[in-house]
Amino acid sequence: MNPTENTTSRPNELEASLRVPLLALFGGAAVWLVVGLGLGLIAGIKFHAPDFLGGCPLFTYGRVAPAANDAVLYGFCIPAALGVALWIFARLSRSPLALPLVPVVAANLWHLGVFVGTAGILLGDSTGHTWLEYPRAAAVLLFAAFLLIAVSAAATFGWRKENPLYPSHWFLLAALLWFPWIYSTANLFLNSNQVPRGVVQPIIAWWFANNLVFVWLALMGIGTAFYFLPKIAGRPLANSGYVLFAFLTLIFFGTWCGIPQSAPVPAWLPVLSSVAAALTLLPLLAITIVTWKTVCGAGVACKGGPFCFIRFGVLCFIISGVLYVSAACPQYSRILEFTWFGTAQTQLQLLGFTAMILFGAVYELLPAVMGKPLPLPKAVRLHSWLGTAGVLLLVVPLVLAGMAQGGKLADATVPFAEVNSAALKFLRISTTGQLLILLGALLFAANILIMTIQWKLGLAKTVIAYIKSPLETAPVTLRSGAGEVKS
Amino acid sequence: MSDETKACSLPTTGEPTATRSAAPMWIIVTTLLLLFLGGYYFDLHGGWFNAKVYSPYYSAEKLDAYQPQSGAAAALARGKRTYEAVCGICHGTDGLGKPGQAPPLAGSEMVNCAGVNRLIHIPLAGLNGPIRVKGQDWGLAMAAMGAALPDEDLAATLTYIRSSWGNNAGPVTGDDVKKVRAGLGASPQPMSGLQLLKMPE
Repeated sequence: MNPTENTTSRPNELEASLRVPLLALFGGAAVWLVVGLGLGLIAGIKFHAPDFLGGCPLFTYGRVAPAANDAVLYGFCIPAALGVALWIFARLSRSPLALPLVPVVAANLWHLGVFVGTAGILLGDSTGHTWLEYPRAAAVLLFAAFLLIAVSAAATFGWRKENPLYPSHWFLLAALLWFPWIYSTANLFLNSNQVPRGVVQPIIAWWFANNLVFVWLALMGIGTAFYFLPKIAGRPLANSGYVLFAFLTLIFFGTWCGIPQSAPVPAWLPVLSSVAAALTLLPLLAITIVTWKTVCGAGVACKGGPFCFIRFGVLCFIISGVLYVSAACPQYSRILEFTWFGTAQTQLQLLGFTAMILFGAVYELLPAVMGKPLPLPKAVRLHSWLGTAGVLLLVVPLVLAGMAQGGKLADATVPFAEVNSAALKFLRISTTGQLLILLGALLFAANILIMTIQWKLGLAKTVIAYIKSPLETAPVTLRSGAGEVKS
Repeated sequence: MSDETKACSLPTTGEPTATRSAAPMWIIVTTLLLLFLGGYYFDLHGGWFNAKVYSPYYSAEKLDAYQPQSGAAAALARGKRTYEAVCGICHGTDGLGKPGQAPPLAGSEMVNCAGVNRLIHIPLAGLNGPIRVKGQDWGLAMAAMGAALPDEDLAATLTYIRSSWGNNAGPVTGDDVKKVRAGLGASPQPMSGLQLLKMPE
C-alpha cells in the first residue's frame, strides 16, 4: 500500500492503517500502567506497614519502587505517547500510516523489553542508575523497538500530502530524535562493559534522567496537547511565534538542567544547571500564554471528557516545571533536597502531566480509529475525576511533606527518626491518591481491553463469514477491518 | 484552493491550524536579560569550569588561599600576611616605601645583608635618627613595630621581606629573633642608624 498513489486518502483507510499498531501499543501500555501503579501502591503501603510483603525479596522497597516508576514511564508513558504521535503524524500528513506492520512488531518488542526490565529489577538485576535500572537485554529491546516506531513515524511524515508543518510536528519530531540519542548515550556509558569511573557516572545519569523525564516528556506531552487543544476547542492554536520560541528554548535550555545543587562534582556543573533551569522559565511562560490564549474563552464544555484531561495535563506541566526550577534554585535546594519534594515533582510530571494528556488523547482518538464509540463512555468521566483528585492527593501532600521534612532536616536539634515520622501523615494522604489513580487506570485499561476484545471478535466473525460465504458473493474484504463490518 | 478540495478535506480531517505570528519582542528581550543575569551568576559562582573547584567554593584563587601549607611556603605565606598587616602600611605592599615617610625595603642594604642581627634589631627596638638607605638619608622615627609579634611571626615576616621584590637573602629563623630579643632586655630604646652599623652583622 503505497500512500503516494492516491492524491486523497479516504479517512477510513487512514484510521484502518492505525488500528493494529495503536491497539498493540495502547493495550500493552494500559496493562503496564496498572502493573506500575500497583507496584507503586505496594511501595507506598510499606511506609504504613513496613512488614507488608517484607519476607519476599521480590517485593522489597528497593526493587518495587524503581520497578513501579519504570513501568509507568517505560511501560505506559513512552509507548502510549508513541502511539498518539503515530496517529497525529498520519492525521497531519493526511495519509495512512506508512509501514504499518513495523510499529506492530515494535510494540511487541517494546512490551517484551519492559517485561524483561521489570523482571530484571524485581529479581535484583537493576543497574542502580535512576531511570536506567533496566538490565542490558531490556535496554537493547527498547532501543530497537523505539527506532522501528520512529522509522514508521518518519516515513509517514516524509510521505505527507500536506506540506506545511504544524507546531506539533516540531515537538514530536524532536522527541523522536531525542530519545534514541539520550538512551543510547546513557546506556553505552553506564550499561556497557567499560563504564567510566567516578564522578562521570552520576553526571551522565542525571543528564539522562533530566532529558528523559523533563525534556522528552515535555516534547511529547506539549506536542500532543498543542494538537488536541485547538482541535477540540475548534479554534486555531494561538501565536505560533510563542510556540516556536517555547520549542527552541525548551530544547536548548532544558537539556542542561538536572544536576543537583549539592552534587559532589565541580562547581560549574550545578551552577550552569541552575542557570539553565532559571532560563526554562521562559518556555514555561510561553506555553502558558499559548495555552491560555487557545483555551480561554473557547467555551468548551468538556464535562470530564478528553479536553478536561489535556487541559489539566498542561496545568500540571506548568506547575511541575515551576517546582523543578525552584528545586534547582540554590536557596531552596538546600532545604528541599533529599526530601519528598523531588518525588512529588517527578510524580506530577509522570502522572499529572504526561499520563493525563495521554489519557485524553487516547480517549479522543480511539473511537475515531476503531470507527465506533468507547465501550464504557461513562468510565471516561469517572476516570477524569479519579485522575484529577488522585494527582492532587498524591502530589500536594508530598510537596508539603518535602517542605516540612527539609525544615526539620536543617534543624540540628531534631532527631532524624522524628524527621522521617513527621512525613508519615502526608504519606497517608498520598497513598490514598495513588489508590485513586490506580482505580482510574483500571477504568482506562478496561475501556481499551474491552474495545480490543470486541474488535478481535468482530474480526473473527468477519473471517468466519468470509469462509462460510460462497466465493462469488464474498460479503466484505478483510482489509477494511472490523469497524466497517457492522455498518 | 478550489472549493472541491475544501469540501473534500473539511469533514475528513478537521486538522488544527495555528495563527501565524512572530515571537514578540518582549520575550526575546527578557531572554537576553535572563541570559546576562545567568552569565553574571555563573561568573560569581561557577569557578570558570575549573575541575578542582567544588561547591561551596567558587574560585580557584580563593581555594588556593584556603589550602594548608607546610615548610618554607607556609612561613612565607604567614610572613606575607603579617607584613601586609603591620609593615605594609608605611613600607608599601610592593616594598618600595613612601617618599618622606618610610625607606624602601626592596634593594635596601640592611635588608639584604648576609647577617640578620642588625635587621632584627629594627622592628624589635625601633629606630630613631638618621639612617642611610640606597644612598639617601632618612631622618624619621619608627616605633618598635615588631616587639609585640611572636618570634616565629617576626622571623617569617623578615624572611618574606628578604625574599621579595627582588631581594634575595637567606631566611631568618625564630631562634635568631629570640637571641636578639634576649639581648635587648625588657624595655629597649630606639636605635639610630649609626648605632646599628656599629653592631655585628
